[in-house]
Amino acid sequence: MTRFVESTITFPYKRSLGPVTGAFMTALADKRILGVRNGTDVLVPPMEWDPATGAELAADLVEVGPAGTVESWTWVPEPTEQHPLDRPFAFAFIRLDGAANPLLHALDAGSPAAVSAGMRVAPRWREERIGHITDIACFVPGVRSEVDGTDVGGPGQPVELMDYTAAITYSTPVLAMADHALAATREHRLIGLRCPTCDRVYVGGDRPYCPVDALELGADAEVELPNAGTITNFIVVEPVQYPGQTVTEQFARVFVLLDGTDVVLTYQPVIDLPVGDIHVGVRVSAVWAPRDTPVDTFSGIGRPMGSLLGWTPSGESDVHDPDLVNRIY
Amino acid sequence: MTTGLTTTTARTSTDIAVIGWAQAAISRRTDQTETQMLMTSITDALTPLGLTRSDVDFTCLGSCDYITGQAFSFVANLDAIGAWPPKRDSHVEMDGAWALYEAWLRLHEGDIEIAVVTGSGRTSTGDPSLIYPMEMDPYVLAPLGADLVTFAALQARAVISAGLADEKAMAEVAVRSRGKGSVEELLAGEYVREPLRRHDLPPITDGAVAMVLATGERARQLVERPAYITGFDHRTECHNPAFRRLDDSPSTRIAAREAGLGTGAPIEVAELQASFTHEELLLRHVLELGDEVAVNPSGGALRANPIMATGLARIGYAADHVFAGGTRALAHATSGPCLQQNLICVLEGRS
Ligand SMILES: [Zn+2]
Repeated sequence: MTRFVESTITFPYKRSLGPVTGAFMTALADKRILGVRNGTDVLVPPMEWDPATGAELAADLVEVGPAGTVESWTWVPEPTEQHPLDRPFAFAFIRLDGAANPLLHALDAGSPAAVSAGMRVAPRWREERIGHITDIACFVPGVRSEVDGTDVGGPGQPVELMDYTAAITYSTPVLAMADHALAATREHRLIGLRCPTCDRVYVGGDRPYCPVDALELGADAEVELPNAGTITNFIVVEPVQYPGQTVTEQFARVFVLLDGTDVVLTYQPVIDLPVGDIHVGVRVSAVWAPRDTPVDTFSGIGRPMGSLLGWTPSGESDVHDPDLVNRIY
Repeated sequence: MTTGLTTTTARTSTDIAVIGWAQAAISRRTDQTETQMLMTSITDALTPLGLTRSDVDFTCLGSCDYITGQAFSFVANLDAIGAWPPKRDSHVEMDGAWALYEAWLRLHEGDIEIAVVTGSGRTSTGDPSLIYPMEMDPYVLAPLGADLVTFAALQARAVISAGLADEKAMAEVAVRSRGKGSVEELLAGEYVREPLRRHDLPPITDGAVAMVLATGERARQLVERPAYITGFDHRTECHNPAFRRLDDSPSTRIAAREAGLGTGAPIEVAELQASFTHEELLLRHVLELGDEVAVNPSGGALRANPIMATGLARIGYAADHVFAGGTRALAHATSGPCLQQNLICVLEGRS
């Protein structure tokens, strides 16, 4: 049975809005909906370019709605976590009064029987608005807009950025060879795979392929790799802040050419080797977690691979070879 | 003046042909990685032609990082192409049908003879209803979680209002495509998004498709009956369906005209990337396909829908018709909500 690993990736986007979408979002915070003139038509949401021809539009913004008419709709019996409402609702194309095209938004109508094309609807505004399409919590039947509670207002200044965050959980198969190589690290062994066609050796793991011959390498290709090598190249990372970043201190990742092989381990952590002392040619040996400690089974670029925690100076003299620095793969 | 809907004609003078293709791991959920699926499909496409990866002059891969859940996921997929000595290679974040378009353009330069294109995806990896909204308009649609099925339902309503479909005709498309069930049975089901029921939606499918292209002389050496690409064009419309007429598909119409539909021999087979039943009815109408045209004999996207490869598979099945002795077939691929972007490829055999 193949093991699947679940990982949730959050996508936190911060988007700049520009003059036209920015004005639209700013107006939403003020409980107003803007469109843009395109000849005799008014397009909602306002666009910077004519969607039919691509011609740039003068940013001639005009207020529409807030009430409108349902042109088309569909019922959402089971909302997802991304939807605006957590109870069944209609997604509707709503033609706001004065607009030439419909706006897609949620309509809180209770049941599909209560929705029909031609019905009049108006926005239900959030109590506190930030300049975002979800400042309209949803639309509701009727022609009077309402506030969902006490009107707290908006930011009181032009809105230039918006946040959008989605989180997706992925379930990805883990190859048997990846688990096998990981298990070997618990015994303080590094697995290599020798291609039967070209004789090149690769590190065993989640990419058990000879990319030159486009071959998958199995257990019969397995060889032992040494636990010692030489630093060929390195990078020093200055952590910058981004969502999810927990590291604050400068750190290094090194590339290690294993002794007697052509195998380079990439982006390896170092242990007891200060950033300032790292240089090409340093002899290193593997540092393993004690056999009984639990290890991180999630491997990834720059992370420890199972029980292989990183590399530490072996105390031998440096290797002086001008070609070493070129070995990063 | 140039607008989004006018460019030069794309009818081709140099002979470029599809000479083989293969699919791998087409299933609801595979335990293979994308790299493994590609490895198998590329090998299976090349081997019957007596070719190896070293014969390939150019590769173009179509896949999607959002679906894989990994940045630069296509880099790992390169393990499947045998890129040493260094190869000319490209990638599109689109269905493999657009990878084919890029390879077709590249072969027109005339200095190379053989290209391999692929499309691959593991839709089962994540929840499509959460992934697709991320690809919608980032300001006004993605934050609402506006999903593909919602948009399809709104388009279905428009197509029904225009008299081009009804729920019964849609159920008939489902029964014919999947070769099972009865219309009465299907119409008794609940709505997923009114007016769409479960049977109107595509399945979730993992899989990869690889296709081999060759220029004229080489194609004729390698196979008895190459499927010559005689017309190829793709067009796009506004990204936000709220600005479009959903009961029409002008981008399909223009692409088809530029690809030579309406002139030359009649189309015998049309493989349409209609993921939803009403899309087939709309596309038949826009392409003016009569009853004499066999539409989606493969079962289409309603039978197997390996995202990022579904469109390329349409071109493969159309090529199969030519390989088997047919004269002219049309393939269609699409991308984006409510048939936003449409590609038409016309394939012909010669006696
Ligand atoms: Zn090899």
